[in-house]
Amino acid sequence: MTKVTVHPTGEVVEVRDGETIMGAFYRTGYAMRIGCKRGGCGFCKIDVHDGAFEYERPVSDEVVTPAEAADGVCLPCRAVPTGDMVVEFRENSLRLVNPLMRYMLSSKEVPARPSHLSTTV
Amino acid sequence: MAIMRMGYAHVRVTDLAEARQHYTQTLGLNEVAADGNKVYFKGWDEWDHHSVVLEEGGVGLVKFGFKAQYEDDLADIEKKAQAFGATTERISKGEELEVGEILRIHTPSNHIFDVYHEMTSGQVDVGNVNPEAFPRDLRGVGAPALDHALITAEDAGLMERFLHECFGYWTAEKVATSLDPADQHTIAVWMTATTQIHQLAVLEGPQSKLHHFAFRLEEGWEVNRAADLFAMDDVPIDVGPTRHGITRGKTVYFFDPAGNRNEVFAGGYLSFPDRPMVTWTPDVLGKAIFYHARELNERFTTVLT
Repeated sequence: MTKVTVHPTGEVVEVRDGETIMGAFYRTGYAMRIGCKRGGCGFCKIDVHDGAFEYERPVSDEVVTPAEAADGVCLPCRAVPTGDMVVEFRENSLRLVNPLMRYMLSSKEVPARPSHLSTTV
Repeated sequence: MAIMRMGYAHVRVTDLAEARQHYTQTLGLNEVAADGNKVYFKGWDEWDHHSVVLEEGGVGLVKFGFKAQYEDDLADIEKKAQAFGATTERISKGEELEVGEILRIHTPSNHIFDVYHEMTSGQVDVGNVNPEAFPRDLRGVGAPALDHALITAEDAGLMERFLHECFGYWTAEKVATSLDPADQHTIAVWMTATTQIHQLAVLEGPQSKLHHFAFRLEEGWEVNRAADLFAMDDVPIDVGPTRHGITRGKTVYFFDPAGNRNEVFAGGYLSFPDRPMVTWTPDVLGKAIFYHARELNERFTTVLT
């Protein structure tokens, strides 16, 4: 399990294997500035100070330009950490909205989504 | 009449397989053709070849197609668009799959509008003779047809004049800073050329951007059911189910797998060219857009593709 640390507050959130940064923060009681949640609008951009990630889906160069990507700009709705990270949220968008979830769920497993709920064309 | 309706929305998606899943299994459109990196869809109550084109590679709008009633309308609109100062070009029949000759207009908002008269046409899924009310085997939302779209433009008033002068659209509703036409700044317009309450809306914002394109539903309960299906399929809902003050339509906004905003829209009153235009003032913009909550979320006017 990897950890994402928030600069400059020092908050730490554990990210499960394959989980997006947004998913980990939402699971543990936080809310953040989010747009389409699908990598298409760039509304949720954060800045990576340290660490690496990969995107779970393709992200268009029009949304995160190559120059932004080189500067560490990241879409938390699609980014899955590949190791511990330090990130900074813009315009104080991150806020703890459910301290109970943060306390109760951050270290507990949740059941996997049943496979029968998946459909294919 | 020149423009009858918005005929198709052509958008980019980042992952065609995921987008196919969304548009066929969740929204319930029928895939009618695939050509290279493009896939074509139609709703069950549409008779033209397609109403949605998805193109893999990126996100956002490629262009909209508008169907004109008569072949001669293309030359007439071309003349008007050029007189307005818009750049136009002609696209030969067949260059766009199953579409006849196209008048392509580069609008003052930097969008591309294709005007055409001819598209391969057949029958709706329930048939053209003694039809049933709907197909028995609808998937997901079962959206019958494309309905309208909202785009952004730096000068919404300029686009209003363009659509009025070139497409023959009238403004059903608008948001403006003053009730005095001589002293008002236009923030947004909802325009049409038929009794459909709006075919295209324009909101002040960045050039060449897409806010959403919408699919028609018949009843308000279908909007609620669509929202349930979006929850089942992990489709991010932006707003709703709720009602608009503007148009009075029932609505849910949601995002496709690439992040393009979609809407399902039901109801709304009928529009006529002699019906007085409705004007909303900015102080009640929240109620105008979302009648129940009476406030805009941050995303609604800023998340664009």
